[in-house]
Amino acid sequence: MIVEARGLSKVFPMAAGPVTALHDASLRIAERDYVAIQGPSGCGKSTLLHILGCVETPTGGSLLFDGRDVAALGDRERSRIRLTKIGFVFQRFFLLPMLTAWENVELPQSEAGASRDRRRARTAELLEYVGLERRAGHLPSQLSGGEMQRVAIARALANRPGLVLADEPTGELDEATGGNIADLLDRVNADGTAVVVVTHNPMLAARATTRLRMASGRLLGPGERE
Amino acid sequence: MRPAALAWRGLVRQPARASLGIVGIAAVGALLFDMLLLSRGLVVSFRDLLDSAGFDVRVTATEALPTAGPPMEEASRVCATIGALPEVEQVVPLNFGLATAPDGGSLYLIGSGPRTRRTWTMIEGEPLPDESPPQGPPPAVVNRNLARDLDVGPGDTIRLQIRSFPAMELVVTGIVEIIFDDAEARTAATTREAYFRLHGLPDADTVDLLLVASAPGVRSADTVAAIREAVPEYHPFSNADFVARFQRTDFTYFRQISFVLSTVTLFFAFLLVTTLLTVSVNQRFAEIAALRALGFTRRRVVADLLWESALVVGAGGFLALPAGGLLAVRLDAILRDIPGLPARLHFFVFEPRAVLLHVALLGLTGVLAALYPVFLAARLPIAATLRKETVS
Amino acid sequence: MSRSRRILLTAAVVLAAPAASAAAAEPPEILVSRQLLESRSLSVGDVVRLSSDPEGDGARPFRIAGVYEPTPDPMKLTSRHWAVRMHLPDLMELNAPPGDPFAAETVSRINVALRDPGDAATFIGDLQARLPGLVATSTTPDAAVFVVLERFHLAIALVTVLGSTAFLLALMVMRADERREIVGILRLVGLSKSRILLAVLVEGTCIALAGAAFGILFAAVMQDAFNAFFQWHYDTSLTFIRLTPGIAVRCVVLAVPLGVLAGLVASWTLLRREIVALLRR
Repeated sequence: MIVEARGLSKVFPMAAGPVTALHDASLRIAERDYVAIQGPSGCGKSTLLHILGCVETPTGGSLLFDGRDVAALGDRERSRIRLTKIGFVFQRFFLLPMLTAWENVELPQSEAGASRDRRRARTAELLEYVGLERRAGHLPSQLSGGEMQRVAIARALANRPGLVLADEPTGELDEATGGNIADLLDRVNADGTAVVVVTHNPMLAARATTRLRMASGRLLGPGERE
Repeated sequence: MRPAALAWRGLVRQPARASLGIVGIAAVGALLFDMLLLSRGLVVSFRDLLDSAGFDVRVTATEALPTAGPPMEEASRVCATIGALPEVEQVVPLNFGLATAPDGGSLYLIGSGPRTRRTWTMIEGEPLPDESPPQGPPPAVVNRNLARDLDVGPGDTIRLQIRSFPAMELVVTGIVEIIFDDAEARTAATTREAYFRLHGLPDADTVDLLLVASAPGVRSADTVAAIREAVPEYHPFSNADFVARFQRTDFTYFRQISFVLSTVTLFFAFLLVTTLLTVSVNQRFAEIAALRALGFTRRRVVADLLWESALVVGAGGFLALPAGGLLAVRLDAILRDIPGLPARLHFFVFEPRAVLLHVALLGLTGVLAALYPVFLAARLPIAATLRKETVS
Repeated sequence: MSRSRRILLTAAVVLAAPAASAAAAEPPEILVSRQLLESRSLSVGDVVRLSSDPEGDGARPFRIAGVYEPTPDPMKLTSRHWAVRMHLPDLMELNAPPGDPFAAETVSRINVALRDPGDAATFIGDLQARLPGLVATSTTPDAAVFVVLERFHLAIALVTVLGSTAFLLALMVMRADERREIVGILRLVGLSKSRILLAVLVEGTCIALAGAAFGILFAAVMQDAFNAFFQWHYDTSLTFIRLTPGIAVRCVVLAVPLGVLAGLVASWTLLRREIVALLRR
């Protein structure tokens, strides 16, 4: 079991009054799982994803990552988890604009302490994996949206994480390009990496083996309607 | 990728902004460097000027500056007493006054006792003899300005007068450069005997200033102490004492201004770097949040920012040195126009210490200036930032 | 640094310990400078003993009739203003070398007030012709030193302006970059470059004027602070910094166009780019 979340909740204090973005969410993600989380805007999908990715701390509940209680870990340890065990894919790609595609993919590896030879081999492998070996030297501004997202996926896989979290990975892409990304995520999962994707895209959600729905901060059970 | 390399790439990505930041730092850094040179420039230059005369101790009647106070009486006795001290190698008595030249203008007149060390630099002709000849006009040396104005050279005679006393002819033996002359000064030096005759006081035995050279291996402070004991009624002081006094008094304006301007330039540099970095961080919140989400620690993000600050301040500070050097030459030329200053005195004098201080101060400024943007970046809420950037 | 030709009579006068008025004859009166009064804890009415001998020999009693504030002299800024003013005969008597028959006839200098100060040069020439060897100079304050210092300060100001301009440009470039998308959208919508530049001009002028006004206000506050500090430090009433209307106007005339120009230059570098490039992330 990679991730075990129990009774997660998240309340955001706002000037106009506290907002409960997540309420009593529990789920388990095992190796090779492919989970899609769907729901209307503002239902708490991204909040749940951020908590699973150790980017956000829950107000209540517990999160175990590889059996370790994340709440008991300090920032350095959580950063280490994100660096080596989780890969993030964002809706807006968030590639570093001053680095080439190659360098963006190499960056997490160098931060994790991989040797130059290992980094070189892995980066080449990943860019080929996502079909961008010929665009390695290009800056993000010279890539299309789909190409940028493929670089982002390659970056997410840089340190061979057991889990990839994707927040609306096709949100900024057209249908065809989105389809390509969906194919890529399928392949990532098929190659042994658990994938959790938050999406509005029914085509993408349909690829997942487990589909969860959320509404008003709650994970709905089977048969429950939004 | 190491923090320095990532910081470099970040700067190169925004060349206009980075270049302007570096130029700004270079400009204020040049000013800072110059103020560091100015803070001790006068002292160093003045000390070198004093030391170049070859005498390390001076004696006056009181604490007043030479020629500003009363003369010392019984000059012969005092010179002999001081000259007999084992700490002393040579004593040269000097008298100072004003005289009128044949062209009607005034000039400084020095009456000098015998000397083996030079109290002036020979340009042309022969040195001033120790004594006036038993017959014939007494000798004199003149500086370049006076020689030019009176159109005289070695071998020519000049006629000087002091107040309403009879004018006297002197033979120019040489043209000299006098260390403490200002650029416009007209100066002549003669024997003390001729000096007093010009003043209508042929039997006078006063002296305005004694130049004393310590014996080899003797410290100036020891010579001062020995003279103080031998002639307690008078005021001996070393070159170091003299410089220290000027540092407390006449040079204080320039020390003050160098301190004030150094502070202002450092504050300006601080403001510049803080603003550049803060705006840069504000514009890169998404990048920073993404890096944090990818697993970059706070320490790593902080290191990236500190390197960015170091690169801007370092490049600017490096350029500031030659720029500051050129500026110092210009500022020195301006200040040396102050009337009455010795022509060889400089306000900006290069010392390696100034470079080290410049580097240290700018480095510290760069670190301090990065503190606020570092604080922003380190405390950035990752998820909230990602959410906000996605929505926007 | 320069050879001073002034004989500082006060340097030759040693202030001995105050003594009670014990002399049968009323001691002559003197004025003392405020700084001397304060430093020696003297009071008006005290009788002090003055001597021209460093050891205090031959000291004579004088009564402090009053205290005066020395005229602030920038050339003597760092001097300690320990001074007394005496009647000339008293000073000559005190300072006369023993046995000097001319002591009663010797003075350091004579001040002359002309009916027409403009005649000073002519008067000096006449005097020197009649009394060769006499040194006569006009008392018109020699502003040469301060002219040089003004040039020095101006040079520093120019360098500061250069640094400030670089800073300003950097800020403007960053601001322009922040608005890249907005500018791209405006261009896409149909606004011309000149229309956008005009908006930048108006905005830049407002900001530059506000900034200049703030700067003048800040300078006025700092002026008082600097003057207060240096007046305290040097114990003087000299004014060190004076922000005149002329200087304020010069600063505004320099700062406002610089600010506006920086904004225009930064915006122009943006407007030169293709619209698509502006919109692309």
